Order: sequence, then C-alpha cells, then structure tokens
Amino acid sequence: MSELLRRELLVVAGKGGVGKTTVTAALGLLGQRAGRSTALVEMAGTSSLVGMFPGTDIGYEGATVLPGLRAFSISAKQSVEEYLLRHIRIRALYDLVFGNRFIAPFMNAVLGLSDLISLGKVMDLGWEVDDQGERVYDLLVLDSPATGHGLTMLRAPQAMMDIARKGPLFQNAQLVHDLLADPARSALILVTLPEEMPVNETIQMAEAVERSGLIKLAAVVVNGVPEAPFAPDEERAFKALVEGREARVGGEAGRALREANRMLWRRGLAQRHIDRLRRSVPVPLIEVPRMPSPSIHGETLEALAGHLEALP
Amino acid sequence: MSDTQRLAPAGSDGLLPLLDKHVLVCCGTGGVGKTTISASLALLAAKRGKRVLVLTIDPARRLADALGVADLPDEPTPIPVSELAGIPPISGELTALMLDVKSTWDRAIRRFAPDQETADRIQGHRFYRKITEGISGSQEYSAMLRLCDVAEDDDYDLVVVDTPPSRHALEFLDAPRRVSDVLEEGVLRWLIAPSFSTAWAGLRIFGKGGAALFQIFERFTGSDVLTGLSEFVTQFSTVFGELRSRAERVDALLRRPETAFLLVTQPTGNALGEADAFVGQLEDEGLPFGGFVVNRVHWSGPESPADAPPRGPSGFPRKPPPGIDAAAYERMIERTWDLHGTYSAWAEHDRRVLAALRERFGGEIPYQQVPDILLELHDLKSLGMIHPYLV
Repeated sequence: MSELLRRELLVVAGKGGVGKTTVTAALGLLGQRAGRSTALVEMAGTSSLVGMFPGTDIGYEGATVLPGLRAFSISAKQSVEEYLLRHIRIRALYDLVFGNRFIAPFMNAVLGLSDLISLGKVMDLGWEVDDQGERVYDLLVLDSPATGHGLTMLRAPQAMMDIARKGPLFQNAQLVHDLLADPARSALILVTLPEEMPVNETIQMAEAVERSGLIKLAAVVVNGVPEAPFAPDEERAFKALVEGREARVGGEAGRALREANRMLWRRGLAQRHIDRLRRSVPVPLIEVPRMPSPSIHGETLEALAGHLEALP
Repeated sequence: MSDTQRLAPAGSDGLLPLLDKHVLVCCGTGGVGKTTISASLALLAAKRGKRVLVLTIDPARRLADALGVADLPDEPTPIPVSELAGIPPISGELTALMLDVKSTWDRAIRRFAPDQETADRIQGHRFYRKITEGISGSQEYSAMLRLCDVAEDDDYDLVVVDTPPSRHALEFLDAPRRVSDVLEEGVLRWLIAPSFSTAWAGLRIFGKGGAALFQIFERFTGSDVLTGLSEFVTQFSTVFGELRSRAERVDALLRRPETAFLLVTQPTGNALGEADAFVGQLEDEGLPFGGFVVNRVHWSGPESPADAPPRGPSGFPRKPPPGIDAAAYERMIERTWDLHGTYSAWAEHDRRVLAALRERFGGEIPYQQVPDILLELHDLKSLGMIHPYLV
C-alpha cells in the first residue's frame, strides 16, 4: 500500500480539464482496497464524481459508492450556510449578512469564507465519529476547485487568521491550517497533462507550494500520456522508411504512415514535457497513459487506479 | 438575435469576415487552446493590414509564451512581427496587452477617485486588495474595464479578447455583471455608513437591538470586519459612478454588430451541448455570435489544406530500407496498420461531433476546424501555421 494512503487528507489539485476528478476517484478506490474507510469530496458543487460512479446519487449529504467508500459533492454555499448557522445560531443574522446577495460577495472576498469553510466542511467529515466514538473515515480525498491559481483555497486558512486575530473563525482556520501543514497527516497531489501550458503551470504551482509551506507536495500525476507507438527497433525501421521514401508510399498505407508519424511526434512532445517536469519538480512523478475512452468509470477507473499504485 | 446579426454561411473565407469586426471576444473553457487561437487570429488580422490589439488576462502568462515574448508588462506592447516571424514587413500592427488585475484596479482608483487623498485612502485600506482581487468575477470585471479603454482608443482597428480561463465559456459575460450588481445597488443600499447602521437598527425586533447582534457577529469574526467593510465601501463609493459608466459602455459595445463572440472548443466531451448553451445565451442576451473554432481535431487529411494527398504506389515497399532488420520492418508495418485503426477511430469520432455541430447550426455560422497536429505553437512563426485552417 502506498504510504500516501496512510495520511488523513489527500488534496488533489490542478487546472480544470486535466483529470483531477478521475485521479480523486481512483485514489478513493485504492484507499478503499487498502482497507481505509475513505471519503471522496468534490468541492466545485458540480457532480463530476457521479460520472466515475454511474448510478449513484452524490450530493452534499454524500452517497456510498462502494463498501467503505463514500463520495460527497459539496458547494461552498451550503457549507457556509451550515457552518455559520451552527456558529452564529441566529438565522436573521445569517440572512442579514451572508444571505444578502449584495453583502455576501464582500464577506466572501474579505474573509475568503467559501474556500475556508469548504475546507472546514471537509474536516468535519474527518472528525465524524460513529456510535462507538470511532472515526467514520480514515482517509479524505479532496478534489479541489480548479480556480485560477489553485493555491487560493490552500491559502484561505492563513488569510482568515490574518483578518480575524481571535474568535471562533480564527480557531477553526488554525485547525485547518495545522492539518494541512502537517506532512504526516496531509499531502498534496498535483495533476497535469503532458503539454506545455499545463506543465508550466504545474511547475509554478509546485514552486509556490514549496515556498508557502502550506502543504507538502507528495507526487505529480501526469494524465493522458500518449503511448509509445513503436518498440525501439520498429521505430528505427519506421524512421528509415519515412525519411527515405515516405513521399513514394501512396494510398491507405501513405495515410497510415502519416498518422503513425503524428502519433510518434505527439509522444516525443509529451516525453519532453514530462522530462522537463521531472527536472523541475523533485517529487515522484506517475505517468498515466491516455485512456481509450473519454468517460472513465468501471474498468477504466480500475485501470487508472492500477497505475496510481506506483504512488510513493 | 435579429437576422441582420446572423453571419453569412461559412464560405471559402472561413472566419475572415470576423477580422473586419471591431471587437472579437474568444470564449471557451480552459485548456482548449483559446489563447493560441486568439493570438493566431490577431496575427492574421495584422498581416492583413489591421492595427490589432490582443488582450489577455492570465496569471500563467500564456500569451507571452504564445507570442514568443518572455514577459509583457501591463501596458500595450508592440510586437515586432516580421522580426519574430521571419517574414517580410507586414502592413498592419500587432500589439499585445497582458492584463493584470491588481494594476487594473490601481489604475482605475487613481483615475476615478475625486482626489489623490481619497485614492490613497482607498488603496491603503486593509480590505482593498482582498475585495478587488478576491471578489468572485474580479478577473472578468478588470478585463471589461480594460476592454473599455482599448476599444475606445482609435489606435486599434480590431481588439481580440482572450477571455480568462473558466469552467464555462460564458463566465466572461456573467461575472462582470455580478460584480456590477454588487457594486451598484448592493453596496449603496447596505454598506454605506448611514444606511448600514439603519440596517442593524432594523433588527430591534429581536429585543436586544441591532447593536447586540452586531457584537455577536464581530465576536464571531474576531475583528471589526463589518465596520471595516462599511468604512471601505464608503470611500470606495466615490468611484462607483465612473465604474458604472464604464460597465454600461462595455455592455453597449458588446451588443454592437461590430462585435462578435467566438467559441473555441474541442471535439471531445460535450462539445455540442456547450455550443448549444453558448449560442442560446448569446441569443437570449442579444449578443452577436461570430462562429466556432473546433480545435485539436484528429485529422486524417494532409498537414496543410494545400498539401497534396500521398502519392506513389499504394502499399508499403516490400523490401526494408537499407540497414533495417526484415523482422522489425514487418512488425513495424503491422503496428502501423494497428495505429491507423486507432487513429481512424479517433478521427471518426471527431467527424461525428463535427457533423452533429454542422447539423445543429447549419450553414448559418462560420466554423473552422484546426487539426491536432498544430499543438504547442509558441512562436509567431508557428502561430501562422494555423491560418490556412481559419480562412
């Protein structure tokens, strides 16, 4: 079992469209198989996880998608409401300030509330206990929102601590902050694609995370890596043919050569970006091949989880 | 959308008519190659004699990469096209502007505040950065502020807007409006000092009076957040008038027939649904739709539309090239046919998506497909490689 699965919290981050949610779901499978009671949480309020576990009803209250694996889809709005009503206890006060569609955006901006309280909600799941007082979940896997900077959410606790120097919000922010910052309890996994811009952004984010000390970056997952089209001796034969006589191969075979050439080129390009990433980000890097189908569930999700077994 | 706003069917000109517009807004979700397509269109227009500004907003500075310029400040920067692209001098001009949210707000405050002292007070407030940069939609709002400036500037025939990366193609329309709403009514009604206290006083029905609630709240947040907020907004309200007038001007600008919205998409996932939603919302709002660019299409055709199909005898040569092992050669040929099968399936999938788009939107709109071979174009020379596919 990967050491990572022994943590309490795994944060999965990366730009939109890089396959964060599939990595989150696959980590959930691994956690569940390792006998860790696992909760998956997506924060965007979208229901991407449902696509990985078809037929389930994943919402704010969560749904059991496999024995020992629950999935939640939480929205900032619901989390903020639940949290604030629990703490302020006066509905009218909540409505006046946070329920007000004009003031709420300011409060959110000033306090970074959405991010912080969404994180807080995730932590509440971590603290949930059953009748015997045992923790319900051993492992939380958080699919973080694909915001512009990606780091915004992780910075929220510190930002709150700077604004509110005391009081319940401060204390809660500190609890979240301490959990994230403890490398024995939390780890960050960045997800990217083997393309120029996503790799640039991942390198920048890894550096920013390292500088900030907010959370320990444990691994990078590169999704959608095109497979090597040829074995080395086949590739030599292919190149000799293409470089020597391609123009003279016509018809279907000519088209096939051209397509194979593109796939070879794509592979080479991906490889260069992966090498660059490896040089710049000194953590284990897991390559996940491009999946044959765009919708990932069932067998393809299993296959993805299989690749993630290489995680440290 | 009225009939006059509909564009002519996609003829041999492709997206060319769009280059005669004044403002071209490129929308699309993150990761579809929006920045590359925007820069490429801007370059194309410049080559055709236009004075073009391409406006982008992106913390990762992707335009700098796409234009082959290491770093661009938050000022319009002329791009030495012929030098960078290795082509003869062009008749137009290409200027790039990489928008920075922080500088845009700073500039707006300095310009719109009634006096230096007020500007200093606003910018010195502890909530200034948090609100102007943290409020949801701030990126889009700043882009609008900047668009207003450059679109009213006679120096440019065409402004290409590369919208901020987002989950939904239409965030660029919604977000600034949300910010405007909040700034205009909300703040005035709720947070400006005099009415602020009235709002709290209104809570007297609780018996203890608004003040008590206020204290509960401030105890909860651990500091004088509400007071600070009211203070800030009271100062900030001095720039509302100008901000609102700009928001209105941009709104009017975006509705003009000289503006066009372009959707950059990929033939994966829910391309059709996304296109439907995009066109639908533009129609609902009376905004002019320009067309689609379907990027990264698997392509069984030649590298460039001008290339001839492969010539020569059909089939692989029987004899391996000199120095190549015969068995490896045979395996390679077998493997190449396998790959051909895989690639054809991808291309077929993309063809179906494109056919569905064509059927849904018919000949009313120009749309162009750009093959997946044109990836990672990060200098001016390679940006030009897209042009044959755009027109």
